[in-house]
Amino acid sequence: MQANRLSQGQLIAAIAAIALFIISFLPWFSIGGGITVGGISAVGSVNRSMWEYENPLDIYLLIVILLALAPAALALLGGGADAPLAPVAITLLAGVGTLLIFYQLFDHGSGVSIKIGLILGLIACGAITVGGWLQMQEDVRGERY
Amino acid sequence: MVGGRLSQGQVIAAVGAAVVLVASFLDWAGASAGGGSVGVPGGASVAVPSVSLSYDAWEAPGSVLDVYILVAGVVALLPALLAVTDASEEFSFVSAATLILGVVGVLLVAAFLTVDFPGHGLERKVGAYVGLAGFIVMAIGGFRAMQEEVAGEI
Repeated sequence: MQANRLSQGQLIAAIAAIALFIISFLPWFSIGGGITVGGISAVGSVNRSMWEYENPLDIYLLIVILLALAPAALALLGGGADAPLAPVAITLLAGVGTLLIFYQLFDHGSGVSIKIGLILGLIACGAITVGGWLQMQEDVRGERY
Repeated sequence: MVGGRLSQGQVIAAVGAAVVLVASFLDWAGASAGGGSVGVPGGASVAVPSVSLSYDAWEAPGSVLDVYILVAGVVALLPALLAVTDASEEFSFVSAATLILGVVGVLLVAAFLTVDFPGHGLERKVGAYVGLAGFIVMAIGGFRAMQEEVAGEI
């Protein structure tokens, strides 16, 4: 079992990154609209996942996911590559990502409502931030489990 | 003297951040339609007014670029702001953070201009390209500042 080569922070960040990737395919937004023809009204809505919504947030969160998985993948593959900036980059980008998702709760455009994916994505991105922060602390103390 | 306390990389990063922040208020996307005249029966023509729509990074519906530009700009400008206020605080990871946020900013604006361009029938405007250039300068400044910190040139 190679998992014991991972630190607690790496494990949390990696699990949260996998969760965020899965969550990214859930509905994040619902775009609604209505039409009236001859006195008959029809209202409909269509769900959009993170990838389907026209917003650079998908590219940003993909970068965060790959970055959070990289230290764990390198450790599991037995790579000894030293990346001292990785925990800082994960904490910084995931923290900003959490802020960006949180901002989407309030600024998602007219006619657009939020769905469960956005809430779960916010939690997962927050968990990656915590994992990155723990990695920074572990690097200072030199801990590995 | 502000310049005396700032390294060359920090100055470059601050200039890039200022460019990005200014660019965020320029037009990033827009469309125009109409204009000209339409012929009507009898040989007369009717003038059709032109209609144009454009928005900057802050007005883009549902986009997260505005918040990202604000965060990246503040981080890159932090050393300059501290120098202006004559503060003694120093943040050890600011140069690395500037580099990371600059590189990711380049990717985000490139995505905005290509695969994630919002709306149909809209055109890319100059603000997005200026913003892209600003993020490139910010990333170069962050990289240079990191090199200077390693070399102890500050």
